[in-house]
Amino acid sequence: MEIILQTCVNALVASAFFALMAVGLVLIFGVMGIINFAHGELYMVGAYLVWYFYASLRWPFLVAVLAAFLIVTVIGLLMERTLFRPMRDNPLGGLINSIGLLFILQVLAVQVGGVGLMKNVPPAYRGSLELLPGVAIGNQRLVALVIAAALLVCIWYFLTRTKVGWALRAVAQDRDAAALQGINIDRISMLAMGLGAGMAGMAGALIAPLTRVEPYMGHGVIITAFIVTIVGGIGSLSGAVLAAVLYAFFHTFVTTYWNGTIATMLGLLIMLVVLIVKPTGIMGTRVSE
Amino acid sequence: MGITRRDLLTATAGTAVLGSTVIPRIGLGATKTLKIGFLAPLTGEVSAWGLPGLYGCEVLVKNINAAGGVQIGEDTYTLEIASFDDEYLPDKALQGFKKIVSEEGAKFVMMLGGDPWPGVQRFANQSKMLATTLLPSDLSPDTPYLLAPCEVHPIYNVTGVEYLARNFPDAKRAVICAQNDSLGIPSVATYEAAFEAAGIEVVDVNIFDPATTDFAPLVTSLMAKKPDIFCYDTAYADFVNLIAQQLHIQGYKGLQISCTCDNYPQIVEKTSKEFMEGFIFQFPDFDDPKLNEPFINFPEPNKFFADYNAAHPGTWTAVSWEYPSIVLQWIAGAKLAGSVEPMQVLEAMKSKPSWPHIFGEADWWGQDLWGINNALVGKWPVVVIRDGKATIAEFGDIPAWWAKNKDVLIKRMRERNQMWDQRA
Repeated sequence: MEIILQTCVNALVASAFFALMAVGLVLIFGVMGIINFAHGELYMVGAYLVWYFYASLRWPFLVAVLAAFLIVTVIGLLMERTLFRPMRDNPLGGLINSIGLLFILQVLAVQVGGVGLMKNVPPAYRGSLELLPGVAIGNQRLVALVIAAALLVCIWYFLTRTKVGWALRAVAQDRDAAALQGINIDRISMLAMGLGAGMAGMAGALIAPLTRVEPYMGHGVIITAFIVTIVGGIGSLSGAVLAAVLYAFFHTFVTTYWNGTIATMLGLLIMLVVLIVKPTGIMGTRVSE
Repeated sequence: MGITRRDLLTATAGTAVLGSTVIPRIGLGATKTLKIGFLAPLTGEVSAWGLPGLYGCEVLVKNINAAGGVQIGEDTYTLEIASFDDEYLPDKALQGFKKIVSEEGAKFVMMLGGDPWPGVQRFANQSKMLATTLLPSDLSPDTPYLLAPCEVHPIYNVTGVEYLARNFPDAKRAVICAQNDSLGIPSVATYEAAFEAAGIEVVDVNIFDPATTDFAPLVTSLMAKKPDIFCYDTAYADFVNLIAQQLHIQGYKGLQISCTCDNYPQIVEKTSKEFMEGFIFQFPDFDDPKLNEPFINFPEPNKFFADYNAAHPGTWTAVSWEYPSIVLQWIAGAKLAGSVEPMQVLEAMKSKPSWPHIFGEADWWGQDLWGINNALVGKWPVVVIRDGKATIAEFGDIPAWWAKNKDVLIKRMRERNQMWDQRA
């Protein structure tokens, strides 16, 4: 029983990170129609910024996380304006631009932080909370989980309870119809890109003390984000959150009781099955031509 | 024609790390530049076992050149490192090997070995280039020009287990975790053999994907087996760091053993001194006073450690001294041969059944495991963290262990398809 509960705790933390990454990716795709391959590198930049501000400059951890969120958000805004907007009618061009940016950000990380051992980001919150005998969560993980969950709730509130959020969802559903209603597509695209990038940056910032901070850390994460996005339904925010939770629990349980490699293989297999059997994903909707 | 420890030290020390205390040797001929090849991962996940080695070689070479270079035969040479990042990939390694040998004109090539070696082997044989590896599992009868003159990974891991079993006789259940690659798997076989020989049961082996980023599930899974001993195998430096943090968070209280524990002060900082107390691994800091023992074949290791850390703070790993020790051995071989030509140096180094290894006299060995006696095997340090600092507990005797447990190790290697005749 202890193992099951500990595995649930592990999976809950993983869910929050997968959701942050996937929701950001979905926002960008939904509004702009671009698959942002540099999303993993935005996550990496968030982690590097926390390494720099918190571990190197000794800023308070939460201030460093906030700074990372804001800076990566600005990077997202610049990406939209310079890389994606000129390619609005050419999704392939946007995709290629994002791949180019991916490599640029990796090389920048190498130039700034070098290579070799991972960047040392000590935990800001040491120790662990024993939930039950034999079931513990590290304080750093707990803080990261709470912040990630809070951010997701804020995003949900923003998208469902504010006019700008409605506008954003409207653009995601039908850009032309939204434009006819007077919604400024440029602004909404910038907002989606900034928000999506910021969420990736926030995920990287929060997880920096818990993972390997190195220039290529975005690789594995982007694959997971794609799996979650496709299973949840491309363009579906609620689907992304649901799929993130389901995938995190699935992957964590298979890793614990079987093997991590098998878990990843099965995850990819599930994605393939979803693509074949239900291409719209769990909560995606079919778009007629 | 042989070489003793004294020969090696006089051959190398005068030109090695003694800096200003050394009288520069003036050669009979003009000073030439001699390039030494360094082909290892300098970027990516395995770079912790490449880049710090390059740093170490640069520190060594800088001191050698400052002391007047090295005299071989009639000529005096200043040394230069010709490096290439193989990214731990076979095709990159071949590209780098060709560049280092054909374009740079290096006279021998140091490699980490492992996954990149198969990409290089054919060209190395064709060009009859002397190469070295830190992973003797690269050796086979088809690698006559490849030596493992420093590290006999993973065989020395048996010394850590032997020390553990002797000092903690009540510890009887071990779990092993290892990344699934050419570093991890032979090491698993070795630890399995060492635990079996010591009467310790291995209750679980978790071989994980090197792309793993979250080790919480793995640690939960292994802790569920209620182990007395947690074995990190030859996990990458960053993996040891992250797994140790997870073990600490999930309340592990038992013994820990690992091949390496690079940058362990970070792990102590992230966990606690108490958690890391007694952690056993195999790679000493070079400020350890035990390295000043007379049988150590490395001039002024404490000074080298200080020079290294001044030049590259926070980057010291297991390989920081290994590649430099190979450079010193090669210099000794070249001096003995009176030539820098690869085959003559190789012949000189293999001219006796034993050769001064960094941790004392060692034998050319390996026929039973790798089909060729091209690895130097002798003593190897067992390092224990005490009060947050790595200290050499003892020097384990690998040949003595082998004499008693040869069959167990061969059996375990064969079970994991790691014998040379099982590898493609």
